[in-house]
Amino acid sequence: MTPNRRTLGLALAFAALVPLAAAAHGPSRKKTTEAVEINAPPDKVWAVIGNFQDMSWHPVVEKTEGKGGNATDATRRLTLKGGGTIDEVLARYEPEKRSYFYRIAEVDPKVLPVTNYSATLIVEPAGEGRSKVEWRGAFYRGYPNNDPPPELNDEAAMKAVSGVYRAGLDALKERIEKGGS
Amino acid sequence: MIGRAIVGAALLALLAPRPGYALEAFVTNQTAEEVAIVDLDGGRVAARVPVPGAPAGVAVHGATGKVYVTSPEGPALTIIDAATRAVEARMPLPGGPLGIAVAPRGDRVYVADWYAKRVLAVDAAERKIAGEATVGASPSGIAVTPDGALLAVADRDDDTLSLVDAATLARVAAVPVGKRPFGVTIDSEGARAYTANVGSNDVTVVDLAARRVVGTVPVGERPYAVALAGGRGFATNQYGASVSVFDLATLAPITKIPVGEYPEGIAASPDGRRIFVANWESDTLSVIDTGTLAVIGEIPVGAGPRAFGAFLR
Repeated sequence: MTPNRRTLGLALAFAALVPLAAAAHGPSRKKTTEAVEINAPPDKVWAVIGNFQDMSWHPVVEKTEGKGGNATDATRRLTLKGGGTIDEVLARYEPEKRSYFYRIAEVDPKVLPVTNYSATLIVEPAGEGRSKVEWRGAFYRGYPNNDPPPELNDEAAMKAVSGVYRAGLDALKERIEKGGS
Repeated sequence: MIGRAIVGAALLALLAPRPGYALEAFVTNQTAEEVAIVDLDGGRVAARVPVPGAPAGVAVHGATGKVYVTSPEGPALTIIDAATRAVEARMPLPGGPLGIAVAPRGDRVYVADWYAKRVLAVDAAERKIAGEATVGASPSGIAVTPDGALLAVADRDDDTLSLVDAATLARVAAVPVGKRPFGVTIDSEGARAYTANVGSNDVTVVDLAARRVVGTVPVGERPYAVALAGGRGFATNQYGASVSVFDLATLAPITKIPVGEYPEGIAASPDGRRIFVANWESDTLSVIDTGTLAVIGEIPVGAGPRAFGAFLR
């Protein structure tokens, strides 16, 4: 099962010489879902998170700049607190389901160690004026070849994405339940 | 003439081998690390076979009842007996085995190495690597012509379809197709190949004898693979959560059918009446009626189904 040393050496040399194509990726896509229940009706929650051009509800987002509103192929650039940007594209917007689906067009793996990332945000009724918000991501690790360094492997990607979702959903719950809009 | 045609069709139906088993799907659940064996008439999972290493590609050989599964993170090839549901062998392979196809006679299995520009030819009886073909970058989907003479390999990161002589394993052509071709399907006549192009949101149609593109069909976002039935093509749109339907004669788009989230592997039943779609995000198999072009069922199968290849028997 151990890859032979010569093959490994060649693979590493190859990886070092060739700039990584944006669309190249590893062999296995990962998925993760985080969710939160919020004591507010779905429409109220959707009013906070349903605008693709406003990610101010996420605590690590400094600002959102974009164009195209909530139309398919609309774009946004998230500038993060502490530096780094993420460029995203809206792929599907379904206000009747209180859901949108988007993908990352460009991100430095040092900011978020993933490639070919897409995600869905959806608000669903959870009974008696309550909501459930789900954030579902699909992505490959940041390193597209065999034998990824630890900071760009599958576990690093899962941890980073789950962390972003958890932080966002927990802050959203707090903001809405504590009387914010 | 009509009478003769009907008699001819009836004779063909009588002569066609009738399988002694119900229609089943062998679905690679990559996240769950198993192959789910789905009873398609009963609409339920009949058995689960653990397969480690993030299984993705699958090729079922009906006559021998062998199911070949790639595990890119094994990296390995697993051989399952379709009837007994037992793992017969697990063979370590180099690189990142992903796309897979089995020769019509069942004697050879072709495995694409995602990390190298090659396809490995595995001797099915000896269970060892018998040779390799040089193809383009990030080879993904593989299909074989019904006579077993030619392989078509989607070179995802070279935007080409490699055509490989199955006997000599020589690459005889590299046909430029759309951007990032992933799945490839060959029709039952061995005349045309269809690549699903993830990067350009279309399907390229290649004439295999002429080795040239005869048409391009626009489909939905991030198409993954194509199935053929009843004179129509069906392409899974991962980001569109839909299946695009087009006419194989005119190559005109017909409609889009909403299915589960992240539809990936797709296959037609042998009678062409149903299409089965693995929904990677929804963990289900959607069933489409090819007559009405409506979804007639959704079967829960397990976590992260990819079913990349010929997954029905």
